Amino acid sequence: MAHEILAATNAVVTLDVALPGIVWPWLVTVNMWAKSIGTGVIFMLFMLLRMHPESVKSLRLPTAIVAFVSINIFLLFTLADLHQPFRMWHIFVYSNWTSAIAIGSFMASAFLGLLTLLVFYAWKKNDETFDKLLLWVTILAIPVTLYTASLMAQCTARELWQMPTESAQMILAALLSGSAAMILLGGNKFSSEAKNTLAVVLGLSALMAFIIYMSEYIFGPMKAEEVAATLDYIKGNGQYSVMFWLGQWIAYLLPMLLIVLSRTSKSESILKLAAILALVGLAIVKHVWLMIPQLLPMS
Amino acid sequence: MQLGFLVDLHLCMGCKGCEIACKVENEVPLSTWRLRVKYVDVGTFPETKRTFTPLRCNHCENAPCERICPVSALHYLDNGIVNIDKERCIGCAGCVMACPYGAIYIDPQTQTADKCTYCAHRVASSMMPACVVACPVQANIFGDLEDPTSNISKYIQVHQGGVQVRKPEKGTNPHHFYVGGGNVTLNPLASFRGNGHSLFNNITTLPVGGHH
Repeated sequence: MAHEILAATNAVVTLDVALPGIVWPWLVTVNMWAKSIGTGVIFMLFMLLRMHPESVKSLRLPTAIVAFVSINIFLLFTLADLHQPFRMWHIFVYSNWTSAIAIGSFMASAFLGLLTLLVFYAWKKNDETFDKLLLWVTILAIPVTLYTASLMAQCTARELWQMPTESAQMILAALLSGSAAMILLGGNKFSSEAKNTLAVVLGLSALMAFIIYMSEYIFGPMKAEEVAATLDYIKGNGQYSVMFWLGQWIAYLLPMLLIVLSRTSKSESILKLAAILALVGLAIVKHVWLMIPQLLPMS
Repeated sequence: MQLGFLVDLHLCMGCKGCEIACKVENEVPLSTWRLRVKYVDVGTFPETKRTFTPLRCNHCENAPCERICPVSALHYLDNGIVNIDKERCIGCAGCVMACPYGAIYIDPQTQTADKCTYCAHRVASSMMPACVVACPVQANIFGDLEDPTSNISKYIQVHQGGVQVRKPEKGTNPHHFYVGGGNVTLNPLASFRGNGHSLFNNITTLPVGGHH
């Protein structure tokens, strides 16, 4: 649509100021990526404890530590991205309850507190209390995963980020990275059934996420001028075309193929390779989706 | 009281007096702008025309920046102005990401968000915003939208049908209007933005807040 307008008006900006560059840089990519892992491993631990309890009985502590470290990375990079990091406490004192950032900060802080308790109970080998607490941690992990999608949806300027698409992508990212991290964490400790379960979760979340990205890629431009202009950055010779497709292959397509291969050949190494690729690719995919709406001139 | 702004683009001649007055009045740092005038050339030689569009915060009734700000640094005043408390701002840049008009920037000196406040400090002293005073052709019309006898209300009544806002589809209900505007002047996607659109250099983007 923008192209037709340009052809019709032959309009050119001849004098203007330089526009702001990237507002939310790679620090926010790391933020989203680490949060996906932190909440994802909790989802997976909760699921495996119910489906294959024998396989994961020794994984309570390692999983809780991975979640704890990931959420700390997420919070650290959130803090590092602030232009006034020493005023972070303002969020808890002057909270604006219409802001996804404020609500998310409270939820993430509570989540970290509960994760600390989980680590403590796992270290004390108090499995009964651990499992009871895990239920509440898992429930809280859902809004903690989703709040970034709400934040992106509140960015009225960035038409590409729509609800509920971003919510679905956030949950799928958590399932993808959570299952991948658990595959790497569990290794030989898992039974073949547990490995199969994680492989199915990894493969299906990759498939679903890929379908949503492709749907947006193809149909997004038919709905809104700004989406069309934004997606031009990942089409043709667009600035992020190579990185976008690299991400789609590494995060979704190759892991899906490798999972099929690992199930037919019963190879754990191939499954681990799929998991590593999914984790690396997810960071690339998230980064591209974060960057491209920021390249568009707003005024 | 609901303060609003209207720019008659028929009158604007692109002198940038408003831009300079704003810079001086609000001590806006280098490489940042609360108000700027964009030039867009339209057509093919010899049938060409140059348009001038002053761009500033729209002081939306449904402001995305106010909604997303986690600490209410961006807040409404009783007169409808969307004001900013720089002492409270944490510099998360959520407002910069949310504003569909690109009207908010990170001040490189204070590392906090900043934007046009309709010169709230002057308005509080019953003075007009600096840009209104500086405009040599009275293209900037400022006043109370709820008062039917104010200049802005009369202007809107006279030019009914020709009054526009930027990006109405965003649902922000801006309190900043244009008369004589069109797609080229109000829609940033309707004009080609190449390298070297500044007279003095080829810089097209600047780092937000001076770093990152």
